[in-house]
Amino acid sequence: MAGASMKDIKLRIRSVESTMQITKAMQLVASSKLRGARQRMEASRPYMKVARRAIWDIALHNTGAESNYVVPREVKHRCYIVIAGDRGLAGSYNANMFKRIEWDSRDASCCFIPIGRKAREYYARRGASIITEIERVEGLTLEKCGEIGQQVLDAYDAGEYEEIVLAYTSFVSVLNQKTKLKPLLPLDAHDAPERTNKQMLCEPDADTLLKEFLPQYLAGLIYSAACDSFASEQAARRVAMDSATKNAGEMIEDLSLRYNRARQSSITQELTEIVAGAEH
Amino acid sequence: MALIHLTVVTPEGKHYDADAQRVMVRTTGGDVAILPHHIDYSASLATGEARITEADGAVRRAELSGGILHVASDEVQVITRQFAWKD
Repeated sequence: MAGASMKDIKLRIRSVESTMQITKAMQLVASSKLRGARQRMEASRPYMKVARRAIWDIALHNTGAESNYVVPREVKHRCYIVIAGDRGLAGSYNANMFKRIEWDSRDASCCFIPIGRKAREYYARRGASIITEIERVEGLTLEKCGEIGQQVLDAYDAGEYEEIVLAYTSFVSVLNQKTKLKPLLPLDAHDAPERTNKQMLCEPDADTLLKEFLPQYLAGLIYSAACDSFASEQAARRVAMDSATKNAGEMIEDLSLRYNRARQSSITQELTEIVAGAEH
Repeated sequence: MALIHLTVVTPEGKHYDADAQRVMVRTTGGDVAILPHHIDYSASLATGEARITEADGAVRRAELSGGILHVASDEVQVITRQFAWKD
């Protein structure tokens, strides 16, 4: 009996060891990707800050299109651009995002633009209305973001939906990432500067300026959100894999202890048997 | 001497963030030079050369493409798709 159990324990130790090797490797990969992702994320932040301010300045000087891009309307149709992960095993990174949208999207009929494999799979499985999809968050180019930006803007102008929301995960620190829902159009009122009576000169005119800049602004925003989300994904995975590796280590320790106990008891038993045999 | 504060950003990063004497860029309506105490101003940018006269008088040239030029109380912002120094 003791022998069989010893063999079982040995097998389990070996299987946990190989799992630990995988989690350890994934943790290292995530750490190294995180470094690059953080740099890209930091680099894209100044653009956001400056562009958000500028677009509001122009929008507020523009009376013609103001109703469309600035004033919120009753939302019957909403479009979500969802940036989730390319892979799983990143703790609750993907699940948090889907849960948040699930809750947020109850009040309107919604369509989705999933970015990243996990998002694509999730919405395809649920049979949600998908406008267009992008396979990978990693290596998402500015051109691609521009295409999405133009596409949603055209549909928004055509009145297909009254609101466009960008769903992404914001990187706060390695241990803390927050899901964010950022209204793209109508423009987010949180970014609005105080209304002033200051004059501003626009060339050619505010309306044309806004029309020309909006697609680039949307592209920039989506790009920056993708950089942010990718860094968050790597951080979430690194933390998840770190704790998985630690757990595997503990498990191996525990199993080794049990293995040694089983070995000792089998030796003791054999000795008892020999001694008992010699006495007769 | 009066100076303007110039920021040049693209989605991929910040390319310039310092005081300057003069900024010249190509808008869709033609070349425009911004000097200190300019009125608040916005214009859409075309593809073309930008010339920045830095605080010490040195002139730097760059190529940029698309976006907007935004001036608000001596803060000049060039928000563009692509930006590359020529020197």
